[in-house]
Amino acid sequence: MQKIRGNSSHEAMTDWREIMIETMKELCALRGVSGNEDEVRDYIVSCTKPHANEVIVDVMGNVIAFKKGAKSPKERLVLCAHMDEVGVIITGYSDDGYLIFAGAGSVDDRVILGKTVIIGKEKVLGIIGCKATHLLSAKERETPTKKEDMYIDIGVNSKEEAKKLVALGDTGAFDEDIREFGDGFIKAKAIDDRFGCAVLLELIKTDLPIDCLFAFTVQEEVGLRGAYTAAYHTAPDIALIVEGTTAADFPSSPGVKKVCKVGGGAVIPFMDGGTIYNKEICKKLTSIADENNIPWQTKTYIAGATDGAVFQRTRSGIKTAGIAAPIRNLHSPSCVGKYSDMEAVYNLILLFLEEC
Amino acid sequence: MDIKKSLVEMCNIPGPAGFEEKVALHVKELFEKYMDDTWIDVLGNVIGVRKSKKENAKKLLFDAHIDEIGLIVIGMEEGFLKFAPLGGLDARVIPASGVTIMTEPPIYGIISVLPPHILKDEDVEKNIKIEDMFIDIGLSQEEAEKIIKPGTPGVLSRNVKEFGENKLCGSSIDDRVGVIAILQALELLKDKELDVDLYVMASVQEEVGVRGATTGAYSIAPDYCIVVDVDHAKTPDAKKHEANTKLDDGAIITRGPNMNTSFTDKILSIAQENDIKHQISVIASGSAYNNVRSIQISREGVITAVIGVPMKYMHTTNEVVSLDDINSIAQLLSKTALSKL
Repeated sequence: MQKIRGNSSHEAMTDWREIMIETMKELCALRGVSGNEDEVRDYIVSCTKPHANEVIVDVMGNVIAFKKGAKSPKERLVLCAHMDEVGVIITGYSDDGYLIFAGAGSVDDRVILGKTVIIGKEKVLGIIGCKATHLLSAKERETPTKKEDMYIDIGVNSKEEAKKLVALGDTGAFDEDIREFGDGFIKAKAIDDRFGCAVLLELIKTDLPIDCLFAFTVQEEVGLRGAYTAAYHTAPDIALIVEGTTAADFPSSPGVKKVCKVGGGAVIPFMDGGTIYNKEICKKLTSIADENNIPWQTKTYIAGATDGAVFQRTRSGIKTAGIAAPIRNLHSPSCVGKYSDMEAVYNLILLFLEEC
Repeated sequence: MDIKKSLVEMCNIPGPAGFEEKVALHVKELFEKYMDDTWIDVLGNVIGVRKSKKENAKKLLFDAHIDEIGLIVIGMEEGFLKFAPLGGLDARVIPASGVTIMTEPPIYGIISVLPPHILKDEDVEKNIKIEDMFIDIGLSQEEAEKIIKPGTPGVLSRNVKEFGENKLCGSSIDDRVGVIAILQALELLKDKELDVDLYVMASVQEEVGVRGATTGAYSIAPDYCIVVDVDHAKTPDAKKHEANTKLDDGAIITRGPNMNTSFTDKILSIAQENDIKHQISVIASGSAYNNVRSIQISREGVITAVIGVPMKYMHTTNEVVSLDDINSIAQLLSKTALSKL
């Protein structure tokens, strides 16, 4: 694919956007709740194989790919994105055939009631049920229902029937359609972090300026677990974590609590709940963005963590930085991102690689 | 009639309370296949009549409402839409749901709420109020103001699909399913002679306070009326007194002060005599949730009954009904129309 700069022609940008839209739609439609990433992994392996010099799947299930570039850099570099998504995990049955569940990863109780999920290998449709609003007492109306008090209805009437369709430990992914809307926006489940996967898959198709390692990790949402073995195995000098990050740019969010803005460009965090990012790499990223008129912003609220927390402290330590797209409604069935931010992330990484 | 296909088709047409025009035109066309005369009245109710050959025949009315819960845009801030509910929109289940704003062409949006990490601890423990939600339409304030005016209605995104065995789930099934049951009854009655003048009404604005049925019942002035509306089927979190009927257990024959006792007894015996699957629920208060509360006291009074469609998760985006139950209700309606009242 043609290399694209910040000020590329409109035509080339349109091509890039169309390719990105298609890849994002395919990736977000796949189901890969933490621990059951098979569909996503298979897709990533099949997309990377034709372009990479080497592709392996490690014990944890991470996909690690290597692609030779125009030169070998002084410092070994890995680009990392996680392939798992948040969802639900089935922990029990009720006598009348409803499923009991827990969150797989951090899922906001307030956004899942009444939504549908697709569970297990049999792809069973389940509804996260609740009694109707008409039947609520004043107190029930005010208090959010907790996950432990919710249940999933799969349309059967007994425990025996439920057991035939769903096994304990099966995971369920949100069942939401993918929509493009507004001025270059996309809504889908799992944009966190299929967006990062899509960027890495586009990069691996590109003629790269330097040799690059690509780590598509598993189980990020349940404690950065894939990153441990991926970081150990790749043993890089520099790790660049490509993520989707919370944007709360709503009218009623006060000042810094907006965190970052959708449409405001690539997010280069100096710090989050898990990592104080490498100052040298962050500086390099922001300078390159400034020099090339690539829109960027930082995060104004310290929360959450990325695979960076694990990479940074692996072996003798790794220079770690993050580069993210701002995403609204993160960890909900309806994440919202903007293509222009995704382009900014992609372009910035490509330029960064040139200067490594 | 293919019940499943017809229901999905009708549910795919947006029609929140007060903005039912498109659904009304669709239903009018369907009624016309069976009725001698069909019209749309001042408020927007679709009314059809099939006259009996008998002189001075009694008037029997089947009613179901075509409006659904929805929302109405009241303004915009920083490009996000602010909205008020049309009917009993359930604030617990709409965050992160897709909506269709009924502009021409329609605009898609997502109901957004503040994420938990920027809320105060005490606010995380409270349900989000509709007045604190936004619709994200991915536009700037300037663009949004150009294409959307306050007063534009919207609905929850349509996605009616098959669920479990012989069931459907999705939004707006309340109460399109009632209209479908009536249409299926008309199908069953097609070549049969009736001793009653049979009226059907697809009424509007039920969800905002049974307004359509109020004028519709006045103009029809029926002797008997059966309201077909959804009723709560049992879910694990409902207390015994809140929902005691079950999905798949057949037509719900409703008892209570809003329903005429002897007419209800009659329907019950028709169900028993014809082996039609049925169950009984009770609306204890004098003010049922549905159209019956206005129809019963229309003019000099109407002899009323309510046949409920068992439904789980009413007013969510995944309302569940059973196709078998719809068939039972259609049979019960047609047998009642054929019986001597």
